[in-house]
Amino acid sequence: MSEPAVEVKNLTKVFSLGLKKEYVVAVDNLSFEVRAGEVYGLIGPNGSGKSTTMKVVLGLMAASKGSAKVFGLDSGDIRARNEIGFLPENPYFYKHLSGAETLRFYGKLCGMKGAALKDRIGELLKLVDLEGAANRRLSGYSKGMLQRIGLAQSLIQNPRLVILDEPTAGVDPVGSRQIRDLIMRLREEGYTVFLCSHLLEQVQEVCDRVGIIFKGRMRREGTLDELIEIENQTSMTIENATPELIAEIHELVRSKEGARIVEEGHSRTSLEHLFIQIAERSREEKS
Amino acid sequence: MSDTPNAPGESAPRPTPRGAGKAVPIFSFGRVTTIAASTVTQLVRMKTFYFLLAFALVVVAVGNFNIPATPAKELSMIKKVAFGTMDIFAWLFAIVATALLIPKDVEDRTLYTILSKPVRRIEYLLGKLGGVLSVIAISLVAMYAICALMIFSRESLYLSAEYDSMKASAQYTEGEIQEQLSLIRQQGLRAELGIAVLASFFKASVVAAVTIFLSTFASSSLFTIIVSILLFLIGHAHHMASSFWLDESGNSVFVQMLVKVIKILIPNYQLFSFSEGIVQGEAVVSALVWQMGGLTAGYLVVFLLLSLLVFVDKEF
Amino acid sequence: MKRLFQKIPRLLLVVLGLAVFGLLRAPVEDDLRERLVAANLLLPPPAQGAFDQMSQSALMGTLGGLRSLVATYLTLNAFEHFSTKSWDALRANYLIITNLEPRDESHWVSVIWHLGINATANMEIDTRLPAFERERRFKEYAFQAIDFAERGIGQLPESVAIRLQVAEVYREKLKDDCATARVYGEIVGLPGAPGYARRFYGYFMARCPGREQEAYDYLTALYREGEPQRLPTLIKEIKNLEGKLAIPSPRRIPDGDPDRRPQKASKNPANTLPGGIVVP
Repeated sequence: MSEPAVEVKNLTKVFSLGLKKEYVVAVDNLSFEVRAGEVYGLIGPNGSGKSTTMKVVLGLMAASKGSAKVFGLDSGDIRARNEIGFLPENPYFYKHLSGAETLRFYGKLCGMKGAALKDRIGELLKLVDLEGAANRRLSGYSKGMLQRIGLAQSLIQNPRLVILDEPTAGVDPVGSRQIRDLIMRLREEGYTVFLCSHLLEQVQEVCDRVGIIFKGRMRREGTLDELIEIENQTSMTIENATPELIAEIHELVRSKEGARIVEEGHSRTSLEHLFIQIAERSREEKS
Repeated sequence: MSDTPNAPGESAPRPTPRGAGKAVPIFSFGRVTTIAASTVTQLVRMKTFYFLLAFALVVVAVGNFNIPATPAKELSMIKKVAFGTMDIFAWLFAIVATALLIPKDVEDRTLYTILSKPVRRIEYLLGKLGGVLSVIAISLVAMYAICALMIFSRESLYLSAEYDSMKASAQYTEGEIQEQLSLIRQQGLRAELGIAVLASFFKASVVAAVTIFLSTFASSSLFTIIVSILLFLIGHAHHMASSFWLDESGNSVFVQMLVKVIKILIPNYQLFSFSEGIVQGEAVVSALVWQMGGLTAGYLVVFLLLSLLVFVDKEF
Repeated sequence: MKRLFQKIPRLLLVVLGLAVFGLLRAPVEDDLRERLVAANLLLPPPAQGAFDQMSQSALMGTLGGLRSLVATYLTLNAFEHFSTKSWDALRANYLIITNLEPRDESHWVSVIWHLGINATANMEIDTRLPAFERERRFKEYAFQAIDFAERGIGQLPESVAIRLQVAEVYREKLKDDCATARVYGEIVGLPGAPGYARRFYGYFMARCPGREQEAYDYLTALYREGEPQRLPTLIKEIKNLEGKLAIPSPRRIPDGDPDRRPQKASKNPANTLPGGIVVP
């Protein structure tokens, strides 16, 4: 079994507040693992300790107690950062650089150069659909474009682990869908993805495993099925059912001791799916 | 791209995790130059070089002042104003630009994405400092070129006018004429003026190193700028303060101790003002210039190390 | 080692680092400073009094190492005072300028010229002031010029230009032949002294009561150097001294009094124009 991509053991992070000797425990004895090749979501409300945990894993902060490792290397070890691609919550990059210059800058920081860097930049711009805006300065990019260029820079050196902090926050449903599809594609290509989010519906669609953090402590952890399945209930969606068939099903359930129909009604699509259908239809009509 | 989520219970087959990446060198000059180049681009795209236009106007204005003075005196005045302005630009830019760099990166969170790459903190600091010093060096060279052009054109004008005038009066021998012309040449364009520019660069380098040190722990850019300027003024008053407060036996021990402490902690910027002597026509002693270069390097190394001491485990 | 590094407060380490560096560089900087001042590359600190008279911006500029720039600005400002004949303001400017750049000879020469020649000339013709006041100010400005000259010579002991300018003040304004002679005497021995300085020394020495014999010996020695020195003024002065000192005829110089010498015959007679054209 390969070593875990991220291994956090008994992590505690305490912040002192000025000279008053008051302090805040942002993360309290947190332990979890992100297995190599999976998509792991750390979810929790604002202020639950997600960003702090992420910063410790990135080496931007030191743990007060406990440890964090990336592919067996201590998170403070610079070699660990060679394995990581990071997309921060609000990706601010140098606004005076263009999209291509930004990727070149971060690529060079990772030791890339020459034709290899040039090819990789072209590849990533195509992946995030920003070829047309490559030479435009980031000051002229929309929020979604900034998010996409941020994702591209996080992949520049082909890292084993991609850390995404609120990747779909503030992005419209179409852009959000694209980012989620990209995450799935990364998973297919063997990347390990560790993402933090408070947008639960979106996390639900992409993650293999999820950890729920609240007030600095891990409350629940496991696969989605383990976490959200209501074990003693079964859902079915039936198309073109006649009233007679429905009556038969009611009769059958009544005849079994202990079983009962909890909920019944027409299936509903989600507002997001409706939005995407309308957007795609409009695009098709235009072309 | 599918827009329907996976059905519950289903999961895609697990792909093979990717292989390990390459090793990270202990120190990478390439990363330093990358950060330095980005800093240069940032400062250039902030239109800092527009200052050169203002400088050119100042030099042209001084060159055309109509006051009764000998040609030598006029040339001396052009040089003093031009080199004084260069000096101001160099150290002021060193303070303001350096004070903005790190806090801006922290505020914009650009620092997170940089430090999340395999970049050592010393490489980051070196890159930022290198970028600022590169812009200062380029600016000083450009300003020197403008100044040299003005001095050369004025000098040529004065030399030919003086020669024609003395020749026409028929009262002077060729030797006397050449003696008079040499007075003008003494104040004209000389190779040593390049050393005066180097002196300004030395001073700006030390100022930038001190400012980057302050910015690693200062709460805001404004604080860094104000304190840097104060330190700059105090750093020029070392000798005056020493001779006034230390040599006078009537002063209290506390005052004398305070002056000594200030002298030890604050850089002696006054030493780096040796460009003024060169501009006034004094001969340059190359051994002294080398030693000033060595002192500058010493300041840069020490203040970078002190900056690293503060910055190395700073949390963001 | 790492744990020790983490335990010691960072502030303490930084202050310690600064202090160690300061202690190490202090003797190096003091030595460098002395050598830079000796090489005239670094200006000595301005005199205490200069700071009292500076405006705030000039003070900041001076403390900021921009002495030359401040001095240049004040020089231009002084020219403005010259244009408006504000002699006291001009003097105040030059007090600061000469403190900021004591080794710039031109500042000393300029202020001596402005006060000793221009200001005094202004007092000679400015009829807005009563005669008594003009005379008082005339002398004041002349002596201020001399004061600047003495300070300038203190800073630049080998300056010929400063001495020439103050000699002009003594000569033209104060009519002090003895002082004029003394100054020319100082100039004579300096490098770069003009050729006429030796003769002028003799001339004014001759007019200084009690030094006639000394002047006669000096001027006759010049005469004996040959034709380049035997200018009409020199011969005239020797002739005067010969009369005053009752020098016996055999010892007198053979040249006649230039004022009584027969006019040399012109190459062209009075009725002949250049080119040999005879006018009837």
